Amino acid sequence: MSGEEEDSQIKEFKLLGILDVQKTPCARDAILHGAGGSVAAGVLHFLATSRVKRSFDVGFAGFFLTTLGSWFYCRMRNAKLRVQQRLIQEGIKNKVVYEGTVLDPTKKPKPEAPSSPS
Amino acid sequence: MAHPSQLGFQDAASPIMEELLHFHDHALMIVFLISTLVLYIIVAMVTTKLTNKFILDSQEIEIIWTLLPAIILILIALPSLRILYLMDEINDPHLTIKAMGHQWYWSYEYTDYEDLGFDSYMIPTQDLTPGQFRLLETDHRMVIPVESPIRVLVSAEDVLHSWAVPSLGVKMDAVPGRLNQTAFITSRPGVFYGQCSEICGANHSFMPIVVEAVPLEYFENWSFLMLQDA
Repeated sequence: MSGEEEDSQIKEFKLLGILDVQKTPCARDAILHGAGGSVAAGVLHFLATSRVKRSFDVGFAGFFLTTLGSWFYCRMRNAKLRVQQRLIQEGIKNKVVYEGTVLDPTKKPKPEAPSSPS
Repeated sequence: MAHPSQLGFQDAASPIMEELLHFHDHALMIVFLISTLVLYIIVAMVTTKLTNKFILDSQEIEIIWTLLPAIILILIALPSLRILYLMDEINDPHLTIKAMGHQWYWSYEYTDYEDLGFDSYMIPTQDLTPGQFRLLETDHRMVIPVESPIRVLVSAEDVLHSWAVPSLGVKMDAVPGRLNQTAFITSRPGVFYGQCSEICGANHSFMPIVVEAVPLEYFENWSFLMLQDA
């Protein structure tokens, strides 16, 4: 138990003291994508215009938009996976319940045997 | 249960609590981004050498700082309302339990099939056995079958109480003379702790709630034994 607490304390990393990027799903990827987008946008703008302050502003806007976009995309993907996971779980549970009965979806209908002439 | 100096939520044990955790992460990311934006603007304003004493208005920034907060609020409100309505759904519960608040203990009644009722007092610290949790354990737990929709009717016999189990995402006020309803499904077996969440007197902090989710056959055995002891 104390080992687990030590692990969780070592791994915890909170940005601005509030956002734990290690434990929150999609947070780490979103922030990293945002950082990359920020650097790319800022450098490109500076190379095009040679304006330092404005390039910083563009860089920050790039961080904001890239983080937001990456975050929403990842969360949407995770939400779809969660729905699929629940459907699969329900399917497995129902398979166990209905196995061998008339309602078994995996049961193939038996071909009708031809009636023999009397 | 909560561990010492915990700041975040406990692990979710019900689908609703999972949804609440995800919504919290979503709202926190938005808060984080707004905070970085404000921090950046403050730094930019403090370090700028540009001044103009004669600015009266600016249409562009007015539009931005009107539309952007509106969009952000919509992005927060939509998932929030979704969860709000999800929490209100009561989908054909398998079991109904009445939780009655008293000063200073909870009593539970399982009256769907037989008349089963018992009181749930906190175990005093001096009577705890090694491994039990201080101020959280009770002599009788509310045992429920796992992965079954459970309806809990909450009320009180004397003063206001509140029946809360954080890991299940459940909190409902216990009001004398009123019957409040809540429902949940436990996703996994386990023991889930909560505490009274409405000030109710001297021992308000000493009337905990313990919910134990077990497989159905264990629940049937437990209810049979409890009826025999009654």
